[in-house]
Amino acid sequence: MTIALRRPRRPSRRRDEALPFLLLIPAGAVILALTGWPLVQLLIMSLQEFGRAQIFGAPPDWVWFENYAAVLSDETFWIVLGRSILFALVNVVTTMSLGILIALLMTRLGRVLKLLVSAGLLLAWAMPPITATVVWGWLFDTRRGVINYLLTGAGLDFDNHSWLIQPLSFFFVATVIITWQSVPFVAFTVYAGLTQVPTEVLEAAQLDGSSALQRFRFVTFPYLRPVLLVLLLLQIIWDMRVFPQIKALQTIGGIASETNTIGPYIYSVSIAGGELGLGGAIAVILVIVMMALSAYYIRSTVRQDEA
Amino acid sequence: MRKLALAGALGVAAAVVLAGCSTPTPAEEETGDIRVWLVGTDTPQEARDYLKATFEEENPGSTLTIEEQQWTGLVDLLTTSLSSSDSPDVVEVGNTQAAAFTSAGAFLDITDMYEDLGGDDLLPGFVEAGSYDGKFYAAPYYSGSRIVFYNTAQYAQAGVEVPTTLQEYVDNAGKLAAALPGVAGVWYPGQDWYNALPFIWENGGEVAVQNSDGTWDAQFSSPGSLTGLEQVQALMESSTAPKDGDESNLWVPFREEKAATISAPSWAYWSIIADEDQNDTALTDTLGYFALPGKDGGAAQVFAGGSNIAISAKSAHPTLAKSALSIIESPEYQTILAGAGLVPALTSLGDKTAGATPELAAIIAEAAATAKLTPASPKWADVEAARVLQDFFVQLANGGDAASLAADLDTKIEAILNG
Repeated sequence: MTIALRRPRRPSRRRDEALPFLLLIPAGAVILALTGWPLVQLLIMSLQEFGRAQIFGAPPDWVWFENYAAVLSDETFWIVLGRSILFALVNVVTTMSLGILIALLMTRLGRVLKLLVSAGLLLAWAMPPITATVVWGWLFDTRRGVINYLLTGAGLDFDNHSWLIQPLSFFFVATVIITWQSVPFVAFTVYAGLTQVPTEVLEAAQLDGSSALQRFRFVTFPYLRPVLLVLLLLQIIWDMRVFPQIKALQTIGGIASETNTIGPYIYSVSIAGGELGLGGAIAVILVIVMMALSAYYIRSTVRQDEA
Repeated sequence: MRKLALAGALGVAAAVVLAGCSTPTPAEEETGDIRVWLVGTDTPQEARDYLKATFEEENPGSTLTIEEQQWTGLVDLLTTSLSSSDSPDVVEVGNTQAAAFTSAGAFLDITDMYEDLGGDDLLPGFVEAGSYDGKFYAAPYYSGSRIVFYNTAQYAQAGVEVPTTLQEYVDNAGKLAAALPGVAGVWYPGQDWYNALPFIWENGGEVAVQNSDGTWDAQFSSPGSLTGLEQVQALMESSTAPKDGDESNLWVPFREEKAATISAPSWAYWSIIADEDQNDTALTDTLGYFALPGKDGGAAQVFAGGSNIAISAKSAHPTLAKSALSIIESPEYQTILAGAGLVPALTSLGDKTAGATPELAAIIAEAAATAKLTPASPKWADVEAARVLQDFFVQLANGGDAASLAADLDTKIEAILNG
């Protein structure tokens, strides 16, 4: 119906349409150079026999899909992948639940307390992951850790207890560290989202006699949905490819081969083991998994926009 | 947002252009700053100062910076840093790790320096570790075998004598732990695989042997190795050390009298008799030492620890790096290392080793004389980097079944060495 109206204005609109793309070029070029090029390198490497000699300049041999075949037929890879998915699942659920609860709490707090909670969250968020892991490692230390000390003081037998030697207990410590560091981001973002929920609607719902849970489920949640979706996706990606916390914990204690998630596993294959071709293949597989996840997210946001 | 992105892009572009301008033109090399990577705290401060001062005196206008790295994860670190454009110039590398880099072309060929650095006077086993394909890449830095330190007061209290056989050493550990509650007979953190090797070797076992076709056959599950591993497991039981701890700072629990015995590199002596502030410790007057006894007496075959030192193939200043290497291999520098309890790279300086007491010097020499190396495969460093040995010994310390764990370990080692 707008065809007739549009025609005379076309030249100016075309310029309007071109401008956003022009403006995108610099950012796009930087992203392409910084992300695209390494990705291409990774793809090439995953098709080659690329060992330590190749790192130092020897020409690599093309093996095409041999690396992929080796990875996909390796039992260890599937175990590690399964472990990563399970670990990510637990962490995402814990982080999201705690983050949302803290955000809801913050809407009810007075100024001083809210400031205190925000500052605490910010500090946890600002702590570099390696530092955080080392400090938590001290808390859980076998000989001098304050946690063993307190538990022993409470009458439990935790003297000289090693928290990292059993994989399950290792991942418990890892979950504590990772959740502690990612809750602030979720809490702040959800809190920002909560401020956008119109109070009139909430009040109206209250007057109609809905319970607090119902108000969250039927009023707040729909408003938060897009925010939560982004957060969920980001958390899944971050927790799937978690690296520094696990790697640093492994040097503190534990059994590396039983506690590798996909990130440290790629590192141990490619850098420590000097098999960049194999490591590259695992990394590409991970990228594909992540892209599938992101594609799902992008599709659902596009749908939402259309709706 | 768009404005930000544009500004960011401009910034990046500017940075690239400016970086292009500052690239130095490759003139004949006269001066520069070279970086030397030393690993761990083994190299005494006196040697570091001597190296820096001598280098800067011999090469006016140039500077030398020493950067200290850690043993944990060293293979990974060198793999990434030596191949980068910002490579350090001179690097120390563990003797058992050197082959991974000499075979990959990471080090500068220094065959022409061999005679000047000392020639046949250089420690032969370490020259071999630093050579590949008939070329010399990594010079010996120092050698240092582990010796046993013990608390004479605690031994007297438990009524235990210095052991004369390996089995006695293991039995003593149990007796000490039983007689002194809360004290480890021998402090044995689970990740320490270096200290387990003598038990395997003394009982006739091996780490891995090479078949006639060149493939490797790992030997942890051989009967001899398993006998040794049982002894290790008995030691671990007498220990209160973390079952998954590593072997760094062994002297701390020892100084606190929480351990009656530790097996540590000879230079640990200085950290035992004085704390970080150079104050006396509980061990200053009650420290005893002996070489780990063999199965039938004498000294056990222990792991020949030590380092090689090499020049990065990507060094921006190879001439200066060579000058630094010459200073490191000089009798003056090596004498300083010997004074700190290390076995110097030059065999003619062997009698200068370690200083505190003549007995200690004799024990260090005794341990070094029978020291053995890990399998001579370029892929051995990958075994170390994969942490399969650490994982294995942690599981052993945790009470795992030696036979099945060892069989599993052999499969893993063979997969790496023959891969």
